[in-house]
Parts: sequence; C-alpha cells; structure tokens
Amino acid sequence: MLGVARRMLRRSDLAEDAVQDALVLIWRRAHQYDPERGHARGWIFTILRNRCLTMLRHEDRGETTDPADERAVDDAFDRLPQSLDLRACLDGLEPETRRAILSSYVLGHSHGEIAGRMDAPLGSVKSWLRRGLVKLRECLT
Amino acid sequence: MTTQVPDTLLDEVALGLAPDEDIRRVEELALADPSIAARLERARLRFLPLDDTAPEMPLPDGFWDRLRAQLDQAPARAANVVNLADRRLRRWRMTAMGGMAAAATLAAMLGWSLLQSPDPSVVAVLLDAEGEAVALIEGQPDNTTRVTLLERPDLPAGRVMQVWTKPDADGLPVSLGLLVAGRSDTLTVPGLPEPDASQLYEITAEPEGGSPTDLPTGPILGKGLAKKPVI
Repeated sequence: MLGVARRMLRRSDLAEDAVQDALVLIWRRAHQYDPERGHARGWIFTILRNRCLTMLRHEDRGETTDPADERAVDDAFDRLPQSLDLRACLDGLEPETRRAILSSYVLGHSHGEIAGRMDAPLGSVKSWLRRGLVKLRECLT
Repeated sequence: MTTQVPDTLLDEVALGLAPDEDIRRVEELALADPSIAARLERARLRFLPLDDTAPEMPLPDGFWDRLRAQLDQAPARAANVVNLADRRLRRWRMTAMGGMAAAATLAAMLGWSLLQSPDPSVVAVLLDAEGEAVALIEGQPDNTTRVTLLERPDLPAGRVMQVWTKPDADGLPVSLGLLVAGRSDTLTVPGLPEPDASQLYEITAEPEGGSPTDLPTGPILGKGLAKKPVI
C-alpha cells in the first residue's frame, strides 16, 4: 500500500499520511464492503488511490517533467508479468498512448498534466486517450 | 430504467482521470444499479495488476503509534452518518434481490454470511511488514470474527495461520482460532469481552495444530488495530 501511495505522491511522509487516511476510511466504510459485488483487494486499493488523487489535486505539481516519474511509469510496465493480458494489450498501443494511460493510473496524472508533460493540446490528449482505452478494452475482452 | 454509462467513462473513473463530480456520480449510480457496479468493478480489476508493480516499502518506525493517535481523533471527524445508513439500506435491498441468482457461487456464500451477521463491532485491516494489506478482520460483539484474506500468504510448509487479538491492550494475546484451510474463514470463540476500538489483531504462522504455548510464537504475517465503523 505504501509503495502505491509513494509512487503517486512522490514523498514518503505524504504516502504514509495517505495510507493512514485510507485505513481510517476503510474502517469507516467496512459495512459498505460487499464481498458479493467486489474484490476486497481492489476495494482497498480504490480507497487508497482515491485518497492519493484527492491529495494530488490539492497540490500543484507544475508541468515539469520529472525523470523519476518517467522511470516509475517504465518500471510499472516492465514489472507487469509477461503472461498478463494487460501487458500484452498495453504493448499493442502507441507508445504515447500507453505512457498516458500508465501515467494516469500510476502517477495519478490528470488530462491537463499529461498534455503539459507531452507538450500536446489538451483536446488531442483527451481524444487519443479515449481511443486508447477503447482499444485496450477490446483487446482485454 | 437503465442509465447509460459509457465504458470509457468507467475506465476513466478506474484510472482516476474522470473529474471528481463524474467519479461521484458513477459511484452513486453503481450503488443503485448492480450491472453498473459490476462493469465498474471489471474496469477497476483490469488495472489492478498495476498496483502490484509499485516498489515495496517497509512500514516506517512508529507507523502504528501514529495511526493509533489518528484513530483517537477519528470519531470527531465522522461525517455522513445518515447518508451512509441510507446507502446501507439500499445495499441490503439489492443484496437480498441479487443474491438469489448467484446462490451457487462462493461469492453468494460470503454474501449470505454477510446477510446473516449483524454489522461488525470492529473492523481491522492487517498489514504485513511491507505495508501490504493482507487481511480484513470484522469482529462481532460475541467475538465471531470474519477473516477475509487479501493475499495468498507465503506460509512455510507445516505451518498454519493463527489469528490473535488482545482484548486488554496491556494483557496477553488470545487465540481466536486457526485458518486451517489456509483460506478466509469465520472464527468463533466464546467467553471474550466485546471487541473494542484500538484492539490489536494479528495473524502469525504457527506449527500444525496451533501455537504449542497458546501465545504467538511464529512470524507475524499481518497485524492491525481495530476501529469501530460508523454505521
């Protein structure tokens, strides 16, 4: 949990805050968790990621490209097991589309942040992200 | 009757790309419509393997003490009590209706035990030394304890998982039982006081048949503090 938060928030102290906040939220919402409808691990990570995203949206990270971010995205892709469909399908996307999808999930980047870092117009980023998601979904089903 | 939610929006919610108001709207629609909930869940599970690619980070010193301090303040920040109760009511209704169809599956068995059991007194998330969530504990007032494993634990051969709690923070740990099958289970132990907030829960790896000393002897697979859910 801490690793996921650290990767999104970049700072260990913020990551620990995020994990602690997420644990408190999980305790509060435990009665909403329904094993029939969801995967417990997915549920916990969703709460953690949402907490990190809220923290990120309140902080202006600017539009500078951080080499550590680039590495985090590459590492995330490289560490996906070869046997996984998600990996094969991400591999089938254009490199920029793959990078954009991965930066949104792994780093919590918004459309605007992705456009800023790629030096591309926001509208185009949004449309090729959508096309990429359609392709990914078709590939995964 | 059915609300149209495009698949791409569900993906964007799962990725965290959708604006906050869209995320909230989709989550509310999912609470009201099991088919949307299932599609959202599928979208989230598609990307879940990416969470496993994050570098492991050991929990820093003092993590549990700081968490305990935060828990002591938590009740003052409780919010949306009415709203949550309302959502729960809706969820019960849906579970009751939807549960019938899937009665043959394990998921339905778990759902059934949820319907059977009252709301838990306490809930704890157990983390391992790397800070990974390994189990979800739900303790009932009579110390019936539902343990949902979130990871397949790395158990040495000839070892079994034993679940412990400390009803008295300064006292000794008490065994709640063994997870003999190595899977999620519900354990019942009579004669313990009702579980309380901040109570410690942990799972250790013990020899077959459980700890010979009736106290934890093996390595800790996960531990965590309990908290009373706001209901």
